[in-house]
Parts: sequence; C-alpha cells; structure tokens
Amino acid sequence: MDFDVITHGIVAGSLYALVAVSFNILFRPTNVFNFAQGELVMLGAMIFASLTSLAGLPWLVAFAATLVAVGIIGLIEERIAVAPILARSQTGTGWVITTLATSLIISNLVGRFWGPDPILVKPPAPLSMDALEIGSARISSYEIALVLITLILVAVVERAYRTLRGKAVMAVAEDREAALLRGIDPGSLGRWSFFLGAAFAAMTGVLAAPILYASTSLGPDLLLKGFAAAAVGSIGNNRGALVAGYVIGVTEAIGASLLSPGYQEAVIFVVVLAILLLKPEGLFGSPNARTV
Amino acid sequence: MKVPPSLPLLSANKVDAGYGHVRVLEKVSIDVRQGRIVVLVGRNGAGKSTLLRALSGLNRPTSGTITFDRRDITGARPNAIVGAGLLHVAEGRRLFRRQSVTDNIELGRYGLRLTEQEHDRRVNRIHELFPILQEKRDLPAGSLSGGQQQMLAIAQAMMREPKLLMLDEPSLGLAPVLVDQVLAAILSLRAQGVAILLVEQMVERALEIADDAYVMQNGRVIAGGLAADIAAGDALQAAFMGEHGTPDHSGPRWSVS
Repeated sequence: MDFDVITHGIVAGSLYALVAVSFNILFRPTNVFNFAQGELVMLGAMIFASLTSLAGLPWLVAFAATLVAVGIIGLIEERIAVAPILARSQTGTGWVITTLATSLIISNLVGRFWGPDPILVKPPAPLSMDALEIGSARISSYEIALVLITLILVAVVERAYRTLRGKAVMAVAEDREAALLRGIDPGSLGRWSFFLGAAFAAMTGVLAAPILYASTSLGPDLLLKGFAAAAVGSIGNNRGALVAGYVIGVTEAIGASLLSPGYQEAVIFVVVLAILLLKPEGLFGSPNARTV
Repeated sequence: MKVPPSLPLLSANKVDAGYGHVRVLEKVSIDVRQGRIVVLVGRNGAGKSTLLRALSGLNRPTSGTITFDRRDITGARPNAIVGAGLLHVAEGRRLFRRQSVTDNIELGRYGLRLTEQEHDRRVNRIHELFPILQEKRDLPAGSLSGGQQQMLAIAQAMMREPKLLMLDEPSLGLAPVLVDQVLAAILSLRAQGVAILLVEQMVERALEIADDAYVMQNGRVIAGGLAADIAAGDALQAAFMGEHGTPDHSGPRWSVS
C-alpha cells in the first residue's frame, strides 16, 4: 500500500467533511436532517460548471452566483417542505419524507436541463489538477488547496457559532421553548440556516467539481458519505465531522486498494456501522448530551 | 412611555387557554400594576403555570384578551412579547445548560442593540446583585446549583430590563438561605420599578413580600386583592384545604386600588 492512498483518502475525506458540515449547519436550529443535501451539492457543481465552462463567467462571479442560487433553493425547500411540518409539531418526523421528496424532485428535474455527461471544471488559476510528486505521494496543487480550505472553512463555521447569533442557534438546538422565552425567533434562525446550509452545500459542489467532475449523478454518493461523516463525527459537531470525513475517506481509499474498488462502499459502511454500534452518539458526542 | 398609575401594566381579561383541546384556564382575569409584586397562589394543577405560559405567548389563548403596556398582545408571538418587555422565567429555569454562565447572560440581550456602556452597566448590576455569577462566569450553566441557576435565570431577564418579570416557582428545590436570596433579589427589582408576577409554592413567604395576590383553583381565579387581605381571608384556606370554592366566588372582577 503506498502513501498515495492516504493522500487520496484525505482529499476525498475533506469533501465528505464539508458535506457533513453543511448537514450540521442546517440541523442545529431545526433538528431536521436534510436528505436533499446531496442534490444541493450536485446543483452547486452543475450550476457553477454551466456558468464557467459553458457561459464563460469569471470564477468569482460564478462562485457567488451559484451560492446565492442554491441558497435560495434551500430557503424555498424550508418554506415548502419543512416549515409547514415543524409548524404542526416540533417533534414531527414528516420532514424525512418531504426532504427525501425534494431530493427526488431535484434529481429528476435536472435531467431536463443537463445531459448525463460529466462536465470538466478547471480549478481557478494558478491551481491545477496536475499531479505533483511530493516524496512518494502524488497530489495536485488544487487538492492541497482543497484540504487547506476545508480546514479554514471548518474553523470559520466554528467561529460563527461563537457569535451571539451562533449562540442563539445553539440555544434553540438545546431548548427551543426556552429560546423563545429569551426573545429568540427559532423560525428566522431556521430559515437562515437553510439558506446558509444550502449555500455551503453548493460551495462543496463547486470545490468538488475539479476533482469529481460536475455531473447530475453526484448527489446520492456524497449524501451517503457526508451523512456517514456527520453521524460518525457526532451530529452537530463540525470538528468531529472533519475527523470522521478523514476516517471515511482513508478507509474508502484503503478498501479500494486492498480489495477492489467495487467493495469500497461496503468497506465504508462496515466501518461506519462498527463505530456507531460501539459509540451510537458518534466519536465526539457525549452519550447524555440531550438531558431533559 | 409609562403607563399611568390608574391603568394596570398587564391586564388579562377573561382568558381561556390550555394545551391542544384541553382547556385549563377558564375566564381568568388578573391585573398587574407597575412596580408591584403580585403573587399567584393555588394548588398544583390550579393553572398558575398555564396562565404564565398564556401571558408569554407559549400557549395561545382561545378566548379573552391580554393587554400589556397599552398594547394588545393576545396571541402575539413569544419573541414579540419579550420585545415588549414582558419576560417569563419558566418553571425549572430552562437555562442553556451546555453554554457558559456568561453566554447565558449575553443571550438575555439577544436582539437588543445596546451601547457598550449600557451593556456593561447592566452586566455590572447583575454582578452586584449576584456576585456568585461573576465568580462562575466561565462554567457551563448546567454545573451550577439550583439556587445559582435561579439567579442566572433572573440575571438573564435583567439584561433586558423588563417592565414585568414573571417567575414560575423560583424557590423550587432551593435551600432556605437561597430562597432568602432569591426573594431579596425580587424585592430589589421592585425597588427599581420592575413589576413582578410570581407563582410560588411557599405561600406564606410569597404573601409576605407581595403587594397583591390572586388565588387560583381549578383553572379559575377565586379571589384577588391586597396580599395582606388574601393572607387573612378564606379563599386561601378553600384553595388549599380542598373545600370547594365555587366559581361564583370569582364574581365581578376584582381590582387593586
């Protein structure tokens, strides 16, 4: 087994961690797990690819436009598929069906706009996908940048939770009614979280595009592995998601090199299930985090 | 603008409220005047907490009206009611146990725009009243004792300088010396002009510090008046000894003059 396996695992794991963080952003004030998140990542990649490769917009402009567009889609999802369910009952679980439905609707509609062929997306200059030889590892400058950007993004998101608004989100996550009594409006925080969570998912798609290519079938795979990273890293814990992303990415890479690429998903889920059987609350959660 | 002394700060008028289809409150009317301590007494299940929940917007009244500071707040959303200056410290304190003492205090001013001086003035006032909170500022709220948690819950409300503070069972589970401290804090808030609506199981202690009192039984107000009169009257006996206070006792609405 060579060192390449580890670097590839870290690169893929960074993407899974980003998907997991986007889950967490949305989950914290709403307790909703958005099953359309994978499709939002895919939309990010596809919209960005169309704006740059096809429409020829500059990188930054396309990036901003993609984030806003997908953020608005997330907001629409919240209004139509989630808010009415939470209005009926805070502890209702109907959103499992409605967010899954949103996912199916998006994945069926995209076929009308885009063909099945993946679109090549070039990384922004001066980064490139050309492999560099560093010791025994082969990794491109873009992949190195992606790993670093992921670290920075996790730090930025964690920092945001230390602002008063971020603390209010944590307050809603802990006790929604108590938050109401302090003048906090969980509805407004929920809408913001859907907007930002969706925009973050789109950003993940943009960042993933040079490596995975932009394709309409990107969603389900990233949904599953991002979900796994969020669960293993303890739901709501972004640093946990980062470590869990690495664990899953490296496991996947090792599984593919030792067995065969066909088994890589099986290997991931064996490892994920084993971890969750031993620690159902994930690697970084306390078992009694939800005391009443 | 201040409510003129003739008008009550908070006025609930024939409020019906409950949970889902279960009606708990029947035509409850109470008044709270500026700068007074009003205590609600009655047995468990009399509807005291439900009344506070209806007043703070957690439970929407099914009929009746609630006015606060001249505004109709019937059916308003909890954050709007908090914004109007009516704060509710719920039973069991309901702090954010995983966040630090300081963060809990800061969340008390969520949505307010305070100048730095004003912010520091409020924090200093809290630390003067409850020095223990300054000592424990970096600890998670969940690690505090019951009494300290109650102080923190009051401190949280003080960040907003409410016009009226509703406290649900602040003495619950506290050692006697801490009960004294909490009651002293309530008196000091009144001295600053804050009206207090207090639900309390320690009826005698509560009536001692209160100006006015209401007695509740089976979701109705069966008596209301000056705390001293209520302490001496029959309604209290009826409410606690299990004699059937008939609804007729509530009679015409009683108001404090």
